[in-house]
Amino acid sequence: MTVAEEGRRALAIVERAYRGAVETQFSDGLYCAYLFHRHLGGLDVLLRGPAVGYAVRAARTPVPRLGKRELTTVNTPGDGLNVLLEAGVGVWIEEQDLRAYGPDAESGLLPGVRTVPAGAMAARWPGYRAVFYL
Amino acid sequence: MARPTTVPRSDVLLTVMGAPYENDLLTSVLRLSQAMLEGGATVQIWACGYATMLTQRGLGDSKPRNLAAWEVDHPSTSLLVREMLLAFPDRLRWYACRFCSDDRGAVDHIPEVPVRAPARFAEHVAAADKTLYLGVM
Repeated sequence: MTVAEEGRRALAIVERAYRGAVETQFSDGLYCAYLFHRHLGGLDVLLRGPAVGYAVRAARTPVPRLGKRELTTVNTPGDGLNVLLEAGVGVWIEEQDLRAYGPDAESGLLPGVRTVPAGAMAARWPGYRAVFYL
Repeated sequence: MARPTTVPRSDVLLTVMGAPYENDLLTSVLRLSQAMLEGGATVQIWACGYATMLTQRGLGDSKPRNLAAWEVDHPSTSLLVREMLLAFPDRLRWYACRFCSDDRGAVDHIPEVPVRAPARFAEHVAAADKTLYLGVM
């Protein structure tokens, strides 16, 4: 890392909505973003494509019962995003994909998530120390 | 003539071909199994491919700690499978494919999960009234 890169954030682009609810639990891409935020000295996350659903409030799904256990620790991307927001991660979402997600998507957006026109984030890439998919 | 089999009869055989950590296939497998078992059915699961990683002893009982929720315990898939087997004795069985296990170095399964040679897969199919294949390799 050069001196000029110190203090600049990295940008992680998340496109692939993915859960693996039972085996992944908390250790999903958003948790990886949390670790990168801590260890890289600051991170922004851009949600695109199906991953915009992470930032839209959804009805709670039933807790899976496996054997005699109620598995309460399956991953919930909305909670993962809240952890990121509380930690100071900038969470952005592409407007076009948010609209495509559904008519109620914009009104259900989690507080703290900021919208950006499709493709506009690319103009900001030079301001980041690194840009990568997550 | 088919040789005698030691595979216990089951209503359903679920053959898990698809990999975990990619989508919610495993969640579907476990929820489907639970629902059938609660309905009184007998179920056997044959784990192929990367599904053989789910019952490794090296996973322990818990996932690594969550730095954002240090006190919360997250059970490993090995523990979840063992708990399901204990909850439904003699009605749920979980087998691991030997070739797929060897191919991935997944050679240390929990003791509740027998390892079976792929040559015996046909016996497991024959021992089930219905076989479902879930996911692709």
